[in-house]
Amino acid sequence: MEDKYADLLQQCAANNQLAFKQLYDATSPKLLSLCLRLLQDKQLAEDVLQEGFIKIWDKANTYSPGKGRAMTWMATVVRNKALDKLRSLKTKPAETEIQYEGLEFASRDLEPESLEHLSQDIQGLMECLKTLKPAQRECILLSYYYGHTHQELSDKLGKPLGTVKAWIRRGLEDLRPCLTI
Amino acid sequence: MSNNIKRYQNPEIFEQLAIEYVVGGLHGRARKRFETLMETHFYLKATVEAYELKFAHLVELLPDEKPSKQLWSNLEAHINTETEQTSETVLNDTKTPWWNVLVDKKSYAFIASLFVLVTALIINPFSGGAAIAYTAILTSKTEAPMAVTRVSQSNMHISINMMKQANIPDDMQLALWCHPRHGGKPKLMGVISTTGETIIKIDKEEWNSFKDVGLLAISVESKNAQSPNENQGEILLKGQLSSLYET
Repeated sequence: MEDKYADLLQQCAANNQLAFKQLYDATSPKLLSLCLRLLQDKQLAEDVLQEGFIKIWDKANTYSPGKGRAMTWMATVVRNKALDKLRSLKTKPAETEIQYEGLEFASRDLEPESLEHLSQDIQGLMECLKTLKPAQRECILLSYYYGHTHQELSDKLGKPLGTVKAWIRRGLEDLRPCLTI
Repeated sequence: MSNNIKRYQNPEIFEQLAIEYVVGGLHGRARKRFETLMETHFYLKATVEAYELKFAHLVELLPDEKPSKQLWSNLEAHINTETEQTSETVLNDTKTPWWNVLVDKKSYAFIASLFVLVTALIINPFSGGAAIAYTAILTSKTEAPMAVTRVSQSNMHISINMMKQANIPDDMQLALWCHPRHGGKPKLMGVISTTGETIIKIDKEEWNSFKDVGLLAISVESKNAQSPNENQGEILLKGQLSSLYET
């Protein structure tokens, strides 16, 4: 499948601001959604997204299609920024009126009819995730999307800490052969 | 070698730690220890990066959340500060003899350095070897040299030196294009500053493609143009690309 963002990202490396605007318009809604789930605060999420896009602009010359799809490269840049911010805060931001929680968006897309509009890469990943036990999958996805610690997952799911740790560890052990990096 | 390091060299262990790190399963001291090791052990970093890219596909499933308009304004301001673009009305291209530009000390110094480069190398299009640099003097419609460009393999970048400031409207910008020697669609290389030197980094593939470039051109483009791939604006400056070969 053609990577529609790779060309724009490579033009950003050549200081093309028009390409950067197009890339921002196309990708910022998904990337903000990720920041909101990790940080649970609109202002913080936008601050981090801004830092992320500055890094994308500055480091666009280090991206090459051989590194994977442009969107995944950008998502990695932004998520790492968000995780850095999360770790720099002594406590997680207080929960606001708008709650970003749950995995409905991911569960829905496990259904075959919902997979059609997605890339082959995510379809492959979802196929791998489907092989896990539901509890293992839930813990891994909550950890990825929300940055929850084991203790937070234990509290949230009402399960012993050791159980949550085992779910994640065994889930990832089972997932590795399927992912084949 | 400590047992700790040996442990991290076992693929079964470090792959598991890498995937846990990516998903967010490593916390506190364990996470910091792993990050410290990643700084010195390339294979750990490479494994983490590979898993990061695998899991980043999960972003596709997220519902869209529209950012505020302020966010783009902040980014735009940041970039504009970086590139220090200044603009006013139209290109300040008076019909004066081209050698008048040598009155400007900076331009003189740049052209002098170019001559030094050319004397150190031989411009020889019949040479059997590969070019190590390309250069072009871009002139306006009145044949006045306005910009000197150099494409260098050693630095893997294009440098564009505007010898005179191009005064263009606020909503316009200058863009550099490569025109294929044997015709075809020009390739946009990037936006350039209206004054002074602009550096555009290139990759290996772009460097290799320069052997097929015949002409460089600078055009005036709208900042709001829909497609950055098509040469839409008026060409202000252009010049033939010459190859430089090592003696």
